[in-house]
Amino acid sequence: MRRYFFEILAVALIGGSLFFFKETLDYLARRDYVAALLVMVIGVAVISVGKEMARLALVQRD
Amino acid sequence: MAVAELTTERRWRTFADVVAFALGTNVWISIVILPAIYVGALHGGLRIFAAMLPFAVLVLGLVRRSEGILLGLFPAAVLVPVSLEPQLASQHVYGEIRFALVAAGVIAYLFGVSFFTTFHEPPAPRSIRMLSSAQQGPATRWRRRERVYWGLTALSIIFPAALIAWVDYDSAIADFLGKMYPGRVALMTTALTVGAIGLWLGVYHYAFLGVLRPHRTGDRDLVTALTRSRVDAKTGKPRARFYAAVALALAAMLALVLMRHIA
Repeated sequence: MRRYFFEILAVALIGGSLFFFKETLDYLARRDYVAALLVMVIGVAVISVGKEMARLALVQRD
Repeated sequence: MAVAELTTERRWRTFADVVAFALGTNVWISIVILPAIYVGALHGGLRIFAAMLPFAVLVLGLVRRSEGILLGLFPAAVLVPVSLEPQLASQHVYGEIRFALVAAGVIAYLFGVSFFTTFHEPPAPRSIRMLSSAQQGPATRWRRRERVYWGLTALSIIFPAALIAWVDYDSAIADFLGKMYPGRVALMTTALTVGAIGLWLGVYHYAFLGVLRPHRTGDRDLVTALTRSRVDAKTGKPRARFYAAVALALAAMLALVLMRHIA
């Protein structure tokens, strides 16, 4: 059960990080570079968290 | 026997030092000194110090016989005077032929230093016995790996040279920079050139070496990393980087909110 929970969370986080990268592009288009950088950092951090969840899901599967 | 080995070793070291000094001095003169004389940038204490810095680093690397200094610090030191005076790397200083010559000099230096500082003539064997496996030649996997190494060597020459030549000599890029940054074309071209070098180093590190790394066997770093991963996996808890990523995301969100609130 925990394995599926971690898998769903990992997919949601990694997929959700795409939203932040899309926002980054929008900020860049508006020439708001500082905001773009901050949102990009959030996106990378969310991907890292998703990656860690995926790792935990793998551990649960073993 | 020991004296003969010592003499051979000394001769190789002296040869490697002379090669590194000659090629390194050529790089220093062609990238820093000649352009500095051409644009009249050799004046002022700071600029003269910056121009002499690469040579001092080269000599330090030779004295210490350090590959890290010769292959890492010296090329970085060459960029210091260029960062102070971006005109040194501008398009009107480097014609296409001169660019090709300087690129050949840099490649010769990097290859010369990396090859001659690690290559040593082995001492003459006391006796020779042919092994049966030696008659079959190198294994297929080693021949394949050698082909990959030669491919990487070719890419190490073609990619950065093509990227830098594109940035510096494409008229569309020069026109665009002229429109966007009037009066700062040389500075922006130099920044783009440094960006191209950084991009290549990143691509090489992650895409090219990244493919080779999992194939290493008996590598102490890799074995340690794998052992640590197994231990981490057994605990079933998130690693420290998970908490760091959450904290980073929250800090960035807070900064964004504060920025919007203050604005």
